[in-house]
Amino acid sequence: MKPPPLIEAHGLSKVFGEGQDLVGRMLSRFGLERPPRRVHAVEEVSLTIREGEVVGVVGESGCGKSTLGRMIADILQPTTGEILHRGRPLGARRREKGAGLAVQMIFQDPFSSLNPRKRVGALIGEAPKVHGIVAREDLDDYVESLMERCGIDLAYKGRFAHQFSGGQRQRIGIARALAVKPELLVCDEAVSALDVSIQAQIVNLFMDLREELGLTYLFISHDLGVVEHVCDRVLVMYLGRIVESGPAAEIFRAPNHPYTKALLAGVPRIERRRTAYEPIEGDMPSPLAPPPGCRFHPRCPFATARCREETPALREIAPGRLSACHLNDATA
Amino acid sequence: MTRAVDTPPALAVEDLRTAFFTDAGRLDVVDGVSLTLRRGEILGLVGESGSGKTMTGFSITGLIEPPGRIVGGSVKLAGEELVGADRARLRALRGRRIAMVFQDPMMTLNPVLRIETQMTDALLAHASMSRAAARAKVRDALAEVGIAAPDERLRAYPHELSGGMRQRVAIAIALLHEPDVVIADEPTTALDVTIQGQILALVQRLCRERGTGLVWITHDLAVVAGIADRIAVMYAGRIVEEGPVDDVLDRPAHPYTRGLIASVPVPGRRERLPQVPGRMPSLLELPPGCAFAPRCAQAAEACRARPDLLPVGPARAARCHFPLVETEAAR
Repeated sequence: MKPPPLIEAHGLSKVFGEGQDLVGRMLSRFGLERPPRRVHAVEEVSLTIREGEVVGVVGESGCGKSTLGRMIADILQPTTGEILHRGRPLGARRREKGAGLAVQMIFQDPFSSLNPRKRVGALIGEAPKVHGIVAREDLDDYVESLMERCGIDLAYKGRFAHQFSGGQRQRIGIARALAVKPELLVCDEAVSALDVSIQAQIVNLFMDLREELGLTYLFISHDLGVVEHVCDRVLVMYLGRIVESGPAAEIFRAPNHPYTKALLAGVPRIERRRTAYEPIEGDMPSPLAPPPGCRFHPRCPFATARCREETPALREIAPGRLSACHLNDATA
Repeated sequence: MTRAVDTPPALAVEDLRTAFFTDAGRLDVVDGVSLTLRRGEILGLVGESGSGKTMTGFSITGLIEPPGRIVGGSVKLAGEELVGADRARLRALRGRRIAMVFQDPMMTLNPVLRIETQMTDALLAHASMSRAAARAKVRDALAEVGIAAPDERLRAYPHELSGGMRQRVAIAIALLHEPDVVIADEPTTALDVTIQGQILALVQRLCRERGTGLVWITHDLAVVAGIADRIAVMYAGRIVEEGPVDDVLDRPAHPYTRGLIASVPVPGRRERLPQVPGRMPSLLELPPGCAFAPRCAQAAEACRARPDLLPVGPARAARCHFPLVETEAAR
């Protein structure tokens, strides 16, 4: 039998709603319910991450990509749906010692994710010490090997996070995540805040670590150029749903969903000079009041009556490629 | 050709120097920058954090505050000197003849005033007309930047608008008086890709139509590739390369420019990105000579002396002792 994939998620949804405040509770006592304000940040998302794969999640602000990443990293609990880690539910594994370490997260802003009062050595060494991953007497060597692997000068072991540049801080964040020997790194806009030359250094570091340690990545980013460069497979999200997924090379060469097409057409590239941009119209609708039917239909140049009423299902359009668009039915 | 001699360029910056005097020492954030911008031209001013690109924009518009000060050079707006001009004169020019658009429109827009109030205030600051006429004009300005239902939006407060719409309002305000020059500092960096495309298309069209000179300050080479006519690359307070967009991006003359271009992933190629080692030096500990030398693969003994910005081709210049293109073309 084939071993189960590293991560498998079925029908993940996450609803954020405001809890009932005092006024709300009083109103409901008198039978005057106020309609609750709920945001469906992620809806009905299923995905598989195989060992050694780099899976990209792209989409614009409010599409739910960060919420999805946080659920995979077990920081947020899904409202419905389940996540399996090597075939076993994340929830069940949570009680096992050290099981929560298998998935680690790298954040966009390494400064706010590093304790400002701890020295670099302690920042990286704390988790392996607490979880008993290395013996106390080997801790120093272990931390130094991680610093070397991530390209941090060993002389800086006694410094604080604020004494480093953005790129160096991101290296510290990566070393800290690696310290607990994770299998999957969830990178949420991990290179977005960095300067171009520094971004290239960190992207290369991620790829080196993948080869050396056999790491698997969920790479969340709005930067399509970087995603195309590092990812094997890509999920495109719009307003909480996956609209298209498949091998990165194929999606970037021949996008199927109108939203993916618009997204790719809008990416500025160095080879595109004095471009006459022909952008798609309109803003992303508020996730508080998503449009009915296909969520992209108000901005879609090809929308029909059916798109306004019926939500398209994510269906296979070619081996390994899924797209949620009614237009695929017409051509089939 | 003769016309270029007759009318002064929209903006001419000559050897501009701005320094900050801090407890830690003197920081030369803008160190001898020269730029020329013709009417209707779009210049991309590119650099990474700390390169001095934003401070150059602030210096041009006279927005440098203590402990910073312009210590030398000249900024001529359509022939009129701005460096050393008195506050009243600068006030009369800013917003009317030269305008700025910032990265975060939430910082430019007053959160407690309706869009209508702030737009008509900006209009009436430099023009005399009735409130009703002003309202009609700002309404048209909103429609021009592609805001649907402008009458409704005039009644809105900034927080009721999306980021892209706020940036459109900021652009509409900047263009209200049809200025000679607009300085735009990372105006699309905080926006989503599809919204960025809309703003780029808009700005491009408006500047070409009205003959407004635009300085587009950004860290993103791909964005300037799409809209700019010329590019100037900054590093540690100095311009290290300048020229027409195609020349600079296809045949970079400065090793830093080449490194920057190579750092951007190319579609379809997945090998390791060629990277520039290290990072930009602190302005407090600039290496003597070429500021890029410590990160440069081809640095040699000569790089201990400070290179000048010298011609490397028609309308091109680079600040490097060993430029990567043949200098013959310049002669």
